[in-house]
Amino acid sequence: MTAAGPDRHGHVPRRGFLKAAGIGLALGTAGAAGLRLGGVASSSGGRWDPEAFLPPDRARVAVLRADGYGGDLEALLLEGLVEIEADVAGASVFLKPNLVEFDPSRPINTDARIVAATAIALRRLGAASVIVGEAPGHRRDLQYVAERAGLIDALAAVDVPFVDLNTEPVRRVRARSSYTPLGELWLPSSVVDADVVISMPKMKTHHWAGVTLSMKNCFGFLPGRIYGWPKNVLHWVGIEHSILDIAAAVRPDYAIVDGIVGMEGNGPISGAAVEAGLVVIGDDVVATDAIAATLMGVDPASIGYLGEAGRFLGQIDRDMIDDRGEEPERAVRPFAPAPLVPA
Amino acid sequence: MDRSQIFEAVGRRLLAARNDDGGFGPGPAAPSEPEPTALAAIALDDDGARRWLIGRQRDDGSFGVVQGFVRDEGSTCLAAIAAGPGAVRERALDRLEDLEAEPVTPSEAVPLDGSIRGWPWVGGTAGWVEPTARSLLALRLYRPGSPRIADAVAYLRDRRCVGGGWNYGNQVVLDEVLPPFAHTTAAALLGLHGVDAALEWEGAARLRGLWRRERAGGLSVAFSLAVFRIRGERDQAAAATEALADVVARTDLLGDPVAAGWAAIATGPGVHELESP
Repeated sequence: MTAAGPDRHGHVPRRGFLKAAGIGLALGTAGAAGLRLGGVASSSGGRWDPEAFLPPDRARVAVLRADGYGGDLEALLLEGLVEIEADVAGASVFLKPNLVEFDPSRPINTDARIVAATAIALRRLGAASVIVGEAPGHRRDLQYVAERAGLIDALAAVDVPFVDLNTEPVRRVRARSSYTPLGELWLPSSVVDADVVISMPKMKTHHWAGVTLSMKNCFGFLPGRIYGWPKNVLHWVGIEHSILDIAAAVRPDYAIVDGIVGMEGNGPISGAAVEAGLVVIGDDVVATDAIAATLMGVDPASIGYLGEAGRFLGQIDRDMIDDRGEEPERAVRPFAPAPLVPA
Repeated sequence: MDRSQIFEAVGRRLLAARNDDGGFGPGPAAPSEPEPTALAAIALDDDGARRWLIGRQRDDGSFGVVQGFVRDEGSTCLAAIAAGPGAVRERALDRLEDLEAEPVTPSEAVPLDGSIRGWPWVGGTAGWVEPTARSLLALRLYRPGSPRIADAVAYLRDRRCVGGGWNYGNQVVLDEVLPPFAHTTAAALLGLHGVDAALEWEGAARLRGLWRRERAGGLSVAFSLAVFRIRGERDQAAAATEALADVVARTDLLGDPVAAGWAAIATGPGVHELESP
């Protein structure tokens, strides 16, 4: 784990980054409500703090094949994390899966087995601690979703704590971008305090945002007790804008996309299962989402928030993304698109 | 554990989590906030919690956490109940009567009556089932003549799921019929009790199946038990009590003070505060 100073992307490490984003440092830019993305990316100056975001550097993304959830996922995750040179030795790691609702017939949530396998792999790489947490957007009864999704038992079996992010003390964090008028975000202390944050979404289509991957998964860092069930205020100020501001504030270090079984069509809840047999692991959430979108048969540039994020938050230029596993273009399994709901 | 034993267990746990300022936080080591404190005050008839709460009423009569752009509006109803008779409650009820969610534009994708606003979680946003149901609960208890009661009932009627029951507030999205949840169905029924017999009957019928499917969730079972006790459904209440005992014993409700507060209300005398004044 890098102790201090900018990382290889020129980013300030998370701990220093979030602390520096503390109370009283209001971003001096005007609110951005009304900015439309989805193909009409802002062409004016950046809506981000230039001191926080140096131009995105090269990214590493590994596309791995997995036949199902019954194989040696721990070895697979370990392989992927090693391929992208994940640096977690001595670090406290926060793992954020995507838990939304439970329906036994639909692959809505990040599979519990891959979450548990990731936790073990992180320990083998020397992580000092691993915590898993979530604050679902629809269901206040997280216990119901987490138990039925198998996450409570899966984590107990590997002795990894699970935290309900709705119940944690929160800390005010300055937004580092101003796509919404939020200006600041209230994040659970275990997220702010973690040395390393990993966004771990399900590979799904999304009827509001096109696709939901590691950036959209960041909605679940925000506690419902402040933002509501659903977190309607984030929709009210613009879903794509919120995705950008939240991902830029939390700034996950790594992303691991569960595409072993994904969801196509009317995602993120009511779509159909796709046995894509893929896991995507990257050291840059934008690059990882861009590759995952490509695997789904979606042009990353067509996803408004992803294209915009490529300007400051991470890498979207294909030539700047190093393949550390399968060549993505040879592993495409097109997903039926979501019928988009007008925002 | 029988009902009184559950009440003792979760009540003890709640009291142990009280902060030095007399209030209750939303989780371990968290500063006091209005929602968990109001629930503890109702569940335990706790004067310390009530004092903390009363001292946090905002100038406009509301309670809740204001965090920059985001203004929580979902706690005022519970605080109105918890505060007890007097000026604080009346100002909170005034606020509830004044508060309205923003109108939403219906579409083919999300068909609903956008003119029926309901109450929001966060000021300046759309209305949702749980804050609307909570507001209805406070108004039916203490302002039974309020004209806003009809608004709340209309909202819950419009947003109920096909076949009865409620989720967070969307009936259909992109032609997909969305299912109801036990927790939100029970929340709606707490508000509707004695206000609209037909809507209540339909929702209660749905809840009897829902809670059993969702019995892994402590909050869902606690809410459901509160409804069954208020409605006098003894068999359902007995079964829900058994399920709640199991969840508490196995998981301690994952340390969630809000779930513990509702469990204490559902199993103790606090549930009578939600029946009628």
